[in-house]
Amino acid sequence: MKLQNRLGKYLLSWPPLVYLVLFFLIPTCIMFVAAFRFPGDYGGLAPMYYIEEGRVVWDLTLENFQRIVEEPIYLELFLKSAGYAGLTTLVCILMAYPLAWLIARSQKKHRDLMLLLVILPFWSNFLIRIYAWMIILGPQSAFTKAVNWVWTGMGFEPLQLLFTPFAVIVGMVYVHLPFMVLPLYANLEKHDMSLLAAAQDLGANAWQRFWKITWPLSLPGIFAGSALVFIPALGMFAIPDILGGTDSIMIGNLIKQQILDTRDWPFGAVLSIMLTAGVLGIAALGSLVARGGVKRG
Amino acid sequence: MKKLLLSLALLASVPAFAADTLHLYNWNNYLSADAAKRFEAQCKCKLVQDYYGDNEEMLAKMAAGAKGYDIVVPTGYAVQALMGQGKAEKLDKSKIANAKNLNPAYLNAFFDKGNQYSLPYALTTTVLGYNETALKKLGIADKANSWALIFDPAVLAKIKGKVIVLDSQRELVAAALMYLGKPANSTNPADWKAARDVILKAKPYWATFNNQSYIKELTVGNMLVAMGYSNDMVQAREDAKKAKRPFVVSFGLQKEGNTMSVDNFVVLKDAPRKDLAYQFINFMLDGKNGAELTNSMGTGSPNAASMAFVNKEIAKSTAVFPTKADMPRLQQLQDLNSRQRRELNRLWAEIKLK
Repeated sequence: MKLQNRLGKYLLSWPPLVYLVLFFLIPTCIMFVAAFRFPGDYGGLAPMYYIEEGRVVWDLTLENFQRIVEEPIYLELFLKSAGYAGLTTLVCILMAYPLAWLIARSQKKHRDLMLLLVILPFWSNFLIRIYAWMIILGPQSAFTKAVNWVWTGMGFEPLQLLFTPFAVIVGMVYVHLPFMVLPLYANLEKHDMSLLAAAQDLGANAWQRFWKITWPLSLPGIFAGSALVFIPALGMFAIPDILGGTDSIMIGNLIKQQILDTRDWPFGAVLSIMLTAGVLGIAALGSLVARGGVKRG
Repeated sequence: MKKLLLSLALLASVPAFAADTLHLYNWNNYLSADAAKRFEAQCKCKLVQDYYGDNEEMLAKMAAGAKGYDIVVPTGYAVQALMGQGKAEKLDKSKIANAKNLNPAYLNAFFDKGNQYSLPYALTTTVLGYNETALKKLGIADKANSWALIFDPAVLAKIKGKVIVLDSQRELVAAALMYLGKPANSTNPADWKAARDVILKAKPYWATFNNQSYIKELTVGNMLVAMGYSNDMVQAREDAKKAKRPFVVSFGLQKEGNTMSVDNFVVLKDAPRKDLAYQFINFMLDGKNGAELTNSMGTGSPNAASMAFVNKEIAKSTAVFPTKADMPRLQQLQDLNSRQRRELNRLWAEIKLK
């Protein structure tokens, strides 16, 4: 029986494991090696070694890594991207929390419909939704005109919404919001309501009940949601490309440039490795804190 | 027996027809649906197109080992890169009778002396398109013939936030270099730094960098000035006219000089159907077909035989069909080596971040 159990486990876990090794681990190793190579003049990579007087000479370098350390702008760009992703995550938490709470506390028969509505935007293509924002935030749209009617009424200069960091944040929040709502809902739905009732009986007001009971219990949900939002937001390049202005560049755009503009695959590989390392670090930190949160709960 | 033979022949012809497919890897908006249909009817084959929006996108795909394409349409310096990658096939010109139609001014270019690997397909210039009506009202319409329109803060102050420029390191830096009176192909670090400074001073007045949406933004009147390709500007002008907008979109060459992109047919070494590739090149180099390309897409034509059939309004635009007098001011971008590309990209990151 035990053996059979183990066999079943192996059979089930091998396919995804093989998949990850083939399409994640091996490409990551290729990228790691590429990070030490020189770019080819006509694209791709320069040969890894050449043969001189019958001896193999390896043509590898640390220069691609040095570049990141020596040029402060790349570090600045990482920080800026982290800022964009962090702000996106924060806005997502602020918007998703009340919504997830509302869904979790509403009648069972309405919940499924509400959850469906949350994931409904996924039914249309990501790029189409971003282009739609281009129209909504454009200077001729009813939305922009209404905002500017109020804004100029208050005596300010008319605002431009499209092609600004504001537009980038709006787009990123819009795309990532469901990823925050769903884990938060899954968490809030499991809370034991009798705890709140007991707190009320003991004289806790609404704020105290939220801050001392609901909030700490929901932290694992917030961490899970934050990881799902922050990590993809950090590497995003399409949204800053389409909605951003002259300074809305993120690390994803820089990586894309290395491959699609500059024929500099090695430096693109270095930037990707830095991004992966950063993300793994944050994910590890997140799971550590989340585990602590669970223990406390 | 005859019937059996006939049905066998029919059976055999079905897969044969399906296999007769030409794979063209082309620019967006570089072949009209109508021309594609006419070619299919003529060659009795299928034409499958795949698109790219930037030479580097195509080169990256080729360097990564893309297979199955017969023809690609790279710009001059990218022809060199394809040749360098060893992907370009030496052309057998005996199979391209219509090559005689080509204007010698566009042959024998720096990237392929003697046109051994490439023949010109179409050309565009990188120019400024603008809302003529609005610029006249603002009193800066006379600046449209100069790069000052997008680089001089004194002019830009009047159109702040209504300017859109190409998201292309090479094109934008080349424009800034020409504005400074330097050659578009300069790789002198001091020139590049000067170009960067010009761009950084002008950037606060620009709305964004963009390669795709400037046609629309210009046509609907959101943007007043756009830097872009001449064929797109023809499109924007026509679209604004068709939509009966209360303004006129116009475009033209700049006095300091412009970059010119000559896009070329290149048959790939590993092309599965070189025979169809030659048929396609010959078809496109026909005078009438070349003119149809210009009339539908707004591209300039290297085809001397097509001039008689080109729409008059497009023909008289010097940004689409540069005259002999314009030629000395037009420069084609040359390929950079990997060091130079790296340096330019660092400069570009600085431009984007600041």
